[in-house]
Amino acid sequence: MNTTHTESNCISGGAPTLEDVARLCLAVGRMLMEWGANAGTVHNAAVSMATALGCTSAEVYCQHSAIIIMLRRGEDTITHMGKVGLHGTNLRRGDAANDVVDRVVAGRLDCESACQALKKIPGGTPAYPVWFVCLLTGVACSAFGRLLGMDWQGFIPVWIGAGVGQWLRHEMLAKKFNFFLMVAAVGFSAAFIAGLGGRLAGSSHLEVSTVASTLLLVPGTAMLNAQVDAIDGMPNLAVGRVFRIVFILLFMTLGLVLAQKIIGI
Amino acid sequence: MLDAFAHFFQQVMFGGADSFWPHIVHQAMFGGVAAAGFGVLFNCPPRMISLCFGAGALTLAVRTVGQSYGMALPEASFIAALVIALVDRTWWLQAQSLRGSVLAVVGCIPMVPGSLAAKGLKGIFEYMHAKPGAEVALGMGALEQLIIVAMTLAAMGTALALPTFILKSKKHAAE
Repeated sequence: MNTTHTESNCISGGAPTLEDVARLCLAVGRMLMEWGANAGTVHNAAVSMATALGCTSAEVYCQHSAIIIMLRRGEDTITHMGKVGLHGTNLRRGDAANDVVDRVVAGRLDCESACQALKKIPGGTPAYPVWFVCLLTGVACSAFGRLLGMDWQGFIPVWIGAGVGQWLRHEMLAKKFNFFLMVAAVGFSAAFIAGLGGRLAGSSHLEVSTVASTLLLVPGTAMLNAQVDAIDGMPNLAVGRVFRIVFILLFMTLGLVLAQKIIGI
Repeated sequence: MLDAFAHFFQQVMFGGADSFWPHIVHQAMFGGVAAAGFGVLFNCPPRMISLCFGAGALTLAVRTVGQSYGMALPEASFIAALVIALVDRTWWLQAQSLRGSVLAVVGCIPMVPGSLAAKGLKGIFEYMHAKPGAEVALGMGALEQLIIVAMTLAAMGTALALPTFILKSKKHAAE
């Protein structure tokens, strides 16, 4: 058997066929990529799981928006491709997906149970309440401001600006707005509130305040993953990541510059 | 004793970069706060938030010490990222796990030169409206900042990747 398919979802039933194993590996790879893993982690997870489920060889090829997997078991081979959605960072979901991989590798979970466990991750993994995330993101950006030499008068305005920016990001992503327009809108809102608030509070570091308030948009995980992927011998994925990072930073700066012009910084 | 502590605290919170230890503590503290905040944004498990704080504080402390001894930003960031990556890798190896380095990534987030990247790109925006004669200085300034960003990211990425190549798990070493 030698087939090429596009992944629809992770299905199972009865004894695991090569196709079931391929779909399981793709589902794990897709989830890990979307939740902030680098290509090496995705590769290790998929290959270890395929080997544990009886494959004699497994090859994984990660792209920015797709994963291709080739499995062999005896005389049978299969090639599957799966789409990857919006890249983000969600460590608890990534941890849960890795747990499933660890359990399959240890022989404590079969293919069907692993599929069921994976399906439960998005809805079943705990998450912090939105207000708490906004609050802590604001604090993080204020801390960035202090690291950049911002005075204390700018601390609260940056906190509020970044907090509002994070709430706006959450709402716009939930309503499926264009990602890059969302980046520009969040950058503008956060910088405008931080800059205006800083001026009212008497801060003398308005430029630093406005920049600090937009740092929630900097795709730090993607930046680090791009470097790690390039070093790990996956330049195609690294280039894809870098291209997207540059566009995010461009749109973020567009929002920032617009806010600074309006405030008069 | 209490007065000395109060004086030190005041220097940490309001002192300048000229006072060595208060400056290190200040940078470490706010680096830790930034890492912990991003830990929540990245949906880190609650039990790991304190570790995120520690990772951010460690990287910022190492980077600040490096910079205070004359290292450039990429060099100091490389050393700091290598330290946290080694700590993180040793921890995962003990756990014999296949998963990636969560703590190292979150610990390095406060060192990502996002503000420098924004300033560099802002310089490019300003370059479009530069008056004759000023465009070379503006362009060079923006380029310089973007080069430092690229070098810093390359240094951090290399430092994060190095321990995974050197310290392999028993499972991978056997393969």
